[in-house]
Amino acid sequence: MLEIDNVSYCYKAGQYAVHGVSLTVADGEFVAIAGRNGSGKTTLTRLVMGLLRPTAGTILLDGRATAGTATAAIARQVGYVFQNPDRQIFRDSVAEEAAYGPEQLGFAAAEIRDAVASALEATGLAAMAAAYPRTLSKGQKQRLAIASALALSPRLLILDEPTSGQDAREKAALMELLTGLNTQGTAILLVTHDMELLARYARRAVVMTAGRVVFDGGVRELFAGDTDVGAWGLREPAAARVARGLRDCGVAPGPLVPEELNGEIAVARRELYA
Amino acid sequence: MRKTAPLTKIVMVFLVSLWAMLLDSAAALALLTAALVALFALSKAPAASYKALGSLGIFAAGLTAMQFALGAEAEFSAVVGLRMAMMTGLFILLMATTRIQDLTAALVRQLRVPYEYAFMVTASLRFVPDLLAEVKAVQEAQACRGYSNRGSVARRLRNYLTIVQPLVLRSVTRSETMAMSLELRGFGANRAGGYGTSIAFGYRDYLALAALAAGTAMIVAMRFYR
Repeated sequence: MLEIDNVSYCYKAGQYAVHGVSLTVADGEFVAIAGRNGSGKTTLTRLVMGLLRPTAGTILLDGRATAGTATAAIARQVGYVFQNPDRQIFRDSVAEEAAYGPEQLGFAAAEIRDAVASALEATGLAAMAAAYPRTLSKGQKQRLAIASALALSPRLLILDEPTSGQDAREKAALMELLTGLNTQGTAILLVTHDMELLARYARRAVVMTAGRVVFDGGVRELFAGDTDVGAWGLREPAAARVARGLRDCGVAPGPLVPEELNGEIAVARRELYA
Repeated sequence: MRKTAPLTKIVMVFLVSLWAMLLDSAAALALLTAALVALFALSKAPAASYKALGSLGIFAAGLTAMQFALGAEAEFSAVVGLRMAMMTGLFILLMATTRIQDLTAALVRQLRVPYEYAFMVTASLRFVPDLLAEVKAVQEAQACRGYSNRGSVARRLRNYLTIVQPLVLRSVTRSETMAMSLELRGFGANRAGGYGTSIAFGYRDYLALAALAAGTAMIVAMRFYR
């Protein structure tokens, strides 16, 4: 549904923040974009939303170029969730906050009611519909930001570091929510520095360095050990590092999450005592 | 201008603004404005201040045109536009060539303004670019949810409230955080001024002040005793 074709962007003449990036995201994919600070991840997603206009190249949504399309119009197809939800929250109740987008885009009253109800249901906020949004926890506010985007029924959801500043439980709950949305067909494009999250939830990883895409492939392929991810500013997930350290004890490489590592250790132990 | 003491620049802003108020000839004000632009060029002010100067020029031209359209004489219209451009331009020059901590130190140590008030003034100035960045960020966040500044004036104003509300809420939170952070770092304990401030007078300051005094005397004499 999203095609980024040879897109470049300069904040200052001659200094590329994004340089010749080509990327596609199909319906239902779960893609994570990683890379060190200043590698162009956020700039790329802002280009997709029309918040920035490419210096060169084209961005297509369902085959149609987005050049000249207002961000508000793009929002119907692509939802965007910022790192800091406080920048958008301003209404007196959770339900009213989620209704903002549909109202702006001229939905009928019944459509707004339905859109809000299903968005709050999907994000687990239905019971808090009347709550005052600014008193919510960071994780709940981030859920509300997702609900606000979902109220416009986008087919692709872009999230820029949505789990920053959250505790482990809130992080896991948010990622489970995204996984659920993805299972129901919403494509997810997640900008993250968190390799544990990337390894557990994403199926495809895109790595950017100095404005260019240096890796685009499966998550297992990224951490298979063939590439020095450290050179891209990434750190292998803990499970992969431990498995590498236990290779001499017969633990096979490949685990990306603790559960997989436990399984491999159990196999190695059985073989050792067999 | 960067090597000139902040107090000299503050005096310059006030005295040259006084000149602009006293002068009622468009030619004289145009000459003064040209001198200000030349001073800008010599001061190696940051690029952003040139942008501000350009916007000021457009606004001044608009103000002049509006005065003229409302029936004022051409000379008077030009005087109003140039006066406004001159006074605002001086302020932009002061801000573009003076560090905030130097300005605070000059207000406190040389003009004897109470530290809390001086800090309040300079902190407000410091937050202007932050506030503008915040406006942009909030606008972008709302645009991603369907905000648009198109339509009738009434609709645009109503929509703009959705930018203003989160902005106010965030500004209040930010002020509280900043106040706490300042208290925790010993706000006001050193009333003599901040670290590394540079407010001492040099020969160029005495020369500038003498020239400003002479210019003021001449313009006052011309205005009231001609």
